[in-house]
Amino acid sequence: MVILASLLNGAGPVSAIDVMAALMGAGTGEAFFVVTELRLPRTIIALITGLALGLAGAILQSMTRNPLAEPGLLGVSAGSGFAVALAILWGASTATITTMVAQLGALAGCALVIAATRVQGLGNDPVRLVLAGATLSSLLMALTSMLMLMDQRAADEIRFWITGSVAGKSLSMLWATLPFILVGLALIGILARPLAAMALGEKAAVGLGHHPGRIRFLITVTVALLVGSATALAGPLIFVGLVVPFIARAFSGPDIRKTLWLCVPIGPAVVLGADVVSRLIATPSEMPLGVVTALIGAPVLLAIVRAGRMPSL
Amino acid sequence: MSSEITMPDTRNTLVNLALFGLMVLILLTSLSTGTVQISLSDTVSAVVGNADPMTDFVVNELRLSRVVAGSLSGAALAMAGCLMQTLARNRLATPGIIGIDNAATAFAVASVVGVGLSLAPSAMALAGAAAATAIAFGLAGANGTRGYRFIVAGIGIGAIAGAVTQLMLSRVAIDTANAAYPWTVGSLNARDNRSVLILGIGVAAGYLILMCVTRALNTLQFSDAVAIALGTRLRAVRILGLGLSVMLTGLAVSVCGPVGLIALLAPELARALCRPGKIPLTAAALAGASFMLVADLLGRILLAPLEIPVGIITAIVGSPYLLWILLRPSPRSLT
Repeated sequence: MVILASLLNGAGPVSAIDVMAALMGAGTGEAFFVVTELRLPRTIIALITGLALGLAGAILQSMTRNPLAEPGLLGVSAGSGFAVALAILWGASTATITTMVAQLGALAGCALVIAATRVQGLGNDPVRLVLAGATLSSLLMALTSMLMLMDQRAADEIRFWITGSVAGKSLSMLWATLPFILVGLALIGILARPLAAMALGEKAAVGLGHHPGRIRFLITVTVALLVGSATALAGPLIFVGLVVPFIARAFSGPDIRKTLWLCVPIGPAVVLGADVVSRLIATPSEMPLGVVTALIGAPVLLAIVRAGRMPSL
Repeated sequence: MSSEITMPDTRNTLVNLALFGLMVLILLTSLSTGTVQISLSDTVSAVVGNADPMTDFVVNELRLSRVVAGSLSGAALAMAGCLMQTLARNRLATPGIIGIDNAATAFAVASVVGVGLSLAPSAMALAGAAAATAIAFGLAGANGTRGYRFIVAGIGIGAIAGAVTQLMLSRVAIDTANAAYPWTVGSLNARDNRSVLILGIGVAAGYLILMCVTRALNTLQFSDAVAIALGTRLRAVRILGLGLSVMLTGLAVSVCGPVGLIALLAPELARALCRPGKIPLTAAALAGASFMLVADLLGRILLAPLEIPVGIITAIVGSPYLLWILLRPSPRSLT
């Protein structure tokens, strides 16, 4: 339903019948162009981004046992954002390079977060982890702003990208990132069982024949792949990785495998819904998608904190 | 406690004098450094009022107002941070971390781009700061300023306010957005003299009031029961302290934008230097002014002729320190 809404709504008025006709391959020239060239790629990209971010958030939260562990809040997105800003500044333009760079940045950010959770005591304290992540993000964002000051031309490009948007992105970008996302999804398929075991505690997981160290490494790689790809596609979207698993957990309970399955429809729905809202709320122009997700996500963060059942993963 | 009032405190006096001297030195350096280099002696004579017209113009017309704005806002942020840390008994509870900066910025940007009421930026920043604090309190529930819930609520509020700021900037013409951008990351470039004047009055008034209630503030370092037993009216002191902290933050933001982490770093330094047991408000204010001036100076000379906004400098310098506080193994004074 959200997909239909996304295809139906936009800056220019296109009637529902025309949309259907365009999808079937017929229809008037203008409607056909708007739907297939502008809205369809955008919709697909939003779907993929939501899927990747939602799943990444779910596994990161499961591993850190911290419902507030969100890639965006913890500096993973800021890491890839910084890396992409560097790449743009050095003149990178082809989709592949940016993707690789975003991945590397996300990997660095992710590794820092995981290292932080290993520090004594921090794993038990959800809020300190979030605060550390927020500090890391603000540091990286300050460095990004400094890069923007050094080059005006790059600054415009980076500023548009930095708020997060799925508008005007072509499908070639998607092809460049798709392999990474598929690898990430496959890794999640492999990791689901060990993650469920880890939820019982590290000792129990070892007893069941898993290797926590290896699992942690794989999760780091997976989160970096998914978040890096999503960031390369849509820019840093904060709070998606918080909201999606939060909704999913409300339905599924503590079982990580059920949660992951539920994230598959919920993640895309959330991002696409946010994208539709961003188009409708300020017609005829648009609101940056990152702003919408922040406006939706921050109240959820407050709700989680207020619920006061924090260390219950 | 009464002995502290009667007995002169040599260590704290020395620290304050040293910090004051440091601040004056940085002030003069800041006045003399720039595109046109002026020697220190010429700078001093220009400030006193006898120098050739050229030097006089550069120092008194161009640089002086910037330096005054910087030191006042630095002092205001540091005092606000010191107060809030004391009230919350948590060194992480500074206005920047709990989102007051961001909210004040959002409101001030609203007045600059012309959304909503056409109030002066100062008034709007104050309103934003007050609103953010009220919301954070409401969400933190019965815990008051204690505990982490308050901080996480603040992070959420800060995120919302940041998003709203970006939203407003994305809706206006690109020129306005570009002009407002340095200000949203914290810069001394966009100050206007009326806001600076209001800030000056606010800092002076706030400082005088605080000096009158130092004794009550000092008792807040003990547990509530001890503070009450020592005759402190807890509720009144908390409300006064929080109100002053919000006022100082709002006024500072209306001048320099959300310059983060000075409110965290300056009181830390002051506490390390001064005798423990008292709240080092004076030392924190002096250190805050010095920090702000040094950061601004660095921003002006590092990439000259480009100018790095002071907020970016403080973020780059201060964030690693904050991370270190958060991540080191034994969190002694975090509660």
